[in-house]
Amino acid sequence: MPIRLVTCGLIGLVLSACRGTHDTRVDLDAADSVTGTGLQSQDIRTMVNTMSARLKADGILAPSRDGQRVSFFITELRNDSSDVIDKQLILRELRTELFESFGRQIRILDRSPEANDIVDAERRMKDRGQVSGTNDRKVAGSDFVLKGVIASRDRQSGRLKSSYINVTFELTDLVTSELVWTGAYAMKTESTRSVINR
Amino acid sequence: MRRKLASRPWLALGVLLGAGCAVRQPAIPVDQFVAGDLAAVRAFAEQEVAAGAAENQALVLNVQGQCELLMGNAEEARRNFESAGRIMGSWATSGGEETAAVLGSESSKTYKGDPYEKAMNAFYLGFCYLMKGEPDNARAACKRGILADAEVGDEKFQADNALLFWMAGRMSKLMGSSDAADFFAEATTANNFAVEHGSQGTADNPLLADPQRGNLVLVFECGIGPEKYADGMQGELARFRSRRHPAVSARASLDGQPVGTAALLLDVDYQARTLGGTAMEGIRKGKAVFKTTSTAAGIVLLDQASRNDGDKARTQAIVGGGLLLAGLFTSSAADTRHWSTTPASVHVLAIDAAAGEHSLVVDFLDAHGAPLASMRQQVTVTVPAHGEGWYLFRSMPCPAATAPARP
Repeated sequence: MPIRLVTCGLIGLVLSACRGTHDTRVDLDAADSVTGTGLQSQDIRTMVNTMSARLKADGILAPSRDGQRVSFFITELRNDSSDVIDKQLILRELRTELFESFGRQIRILDRSPEANDIVDAERRMKDRGQVSGTNDRKVAGSDFVLKGVIASRDRQSGRLKSSYINVTFELTDLVTSELVWTGAYAMKTESTRSVINR
Repeated sequence: MRRKLASRPWLALGVLLGAGCAVRQPAIPVDQFVAGDLAAVRAFAEQEVAAGAAENQALVLNVQGQCELLMGNAEEARRNFESAGRIMGSWATSGGEETAAVLGSESSKTYKGDPYEKAMNAFYLGFCYLMKGEPDNARAACKRGILADAEVGDEKFQADNALLFWMAGRMSKLMGSSDAADFFAEATTANNFAVEHGSQGTADNPLLADPQRGNLVLVFECGIGPEKYADGMQGELARFRSRRHPAVSARASLDGQPVGTAALLLDVDYQARTLGGTAMEGIRKGKAVFKTTSTAAGIVLLDQASRNDGDKARTQAIVGGGLLLAGLFTSSAADTRHWSTTPASVHVLAIDAAAGEHSLVVDFLDAHGAPLASMRQQVTVTVPAHGEGWYLFRSMPCPAATAPARP
């Protein structure tokens, strides 16, 4: 009888390891079930929401008393960490969040190389009369630039690994070069390596 | 009747543990890869990714990525290497997978590769990001590879991948970052250590003596990487052996002028040999002892059962049969799945060249320094006015050259 019990228990253990799979729609802010040490989707969403809220609370991007809107563009997000990441995904989410948060109170400029090329081409065609419309306004100048850096500190010893990731955003005045605002988001993960993976 | 009932669970358990969950090495057509038939190898890998064992995804994605990269599809290659790297880099393992690999066949687990394979994945991913014009992400990949290299069991071999340190330094240089010199110093230390401990190459590596030199960087992958095999009485020991290939180094000519022989930065065979022991090796050894002992005990008990009568014989038959089955179905064999299309070594040649197009001839050399005519590659390379041009070549008959990097 004990032999049967042990055997059945072991079979149950093995069968439970071979259970079926499923697809489930999950909340966007839920933690990733597929884990790792890098930034997760939850972190990216929290980060852009937090940065947008802090920028708004700071008031640096608020219109002037005479209603002049502040203009800025978002430039690079430099990755100094040890984890490759789609930087454009973060920057696009941040830009969208800023738009949704500030509405028409601010002017966000598109200074990507592609946008510059399109603008130049369109202005040339208007100058030549090839298309309707006139270049009656200058290309908008920028008051500020927003940029960021992803950095990490990784430690590994035996079966343990820890990873601290810090993402810093900075807003620089493009006339005075003064750093007028900075905000950071940090996260830390710890991992234990399974005995089966070395 | 009772005997039959009692033995059935053992039989079922044995079948489940012994055979049900083992995942075999995919039959990658290595010969076709060596012969330069990349389209065929890519087709195989694509098929395996789509319909093969999920546990082998990272392995075949890496092979597919190599084919894409050598065929000039850098963006597709990047996606492959990134997906593979995500699997290989995750330390998370489910309890069920761990239990199945420990109790049953070790090869039931998800393939995540040995540290040297993770480092190779990082190298390729870094190269792809460089071609995408993102040296910071390329450097991130190199850093991840350096961390993966530190996962080897023997601590003294934990930072001896000169290629990744040097490449990280070059990425820092492209980014204008101040830490390039630190990476170059680490690369020299790693190279010297590796050479002192049996790696091919030389301590006075000309590339590392002037690591920032050149705006045209040629990376050569020579030979075919090591093969992993099972050794020991029960196949419980994972071992590596080198595979024969004529190409051991490379040289180049630019616009008809010899520009030198490439310097060896990575000996993949050495990296595989110096992995050190693992916890699983101890478990497999224990399982091998159990397998041998329980099989022998089972045979002895069954033999005694055949000579006795009554309850004693029945008990001996049940226990003996159970032990025999447990022994027969215990899998102590090492997981020998490996990335079979890695190169045996990676060499680099950095040249100062005028901006513009140049005619480049690459010769792979045999052990005597003689060029291998069948592997000669002639391509037009472009050196940008600003930044650097990077090209990757593999010792195989006339594969498509990679597109230039745009750092």
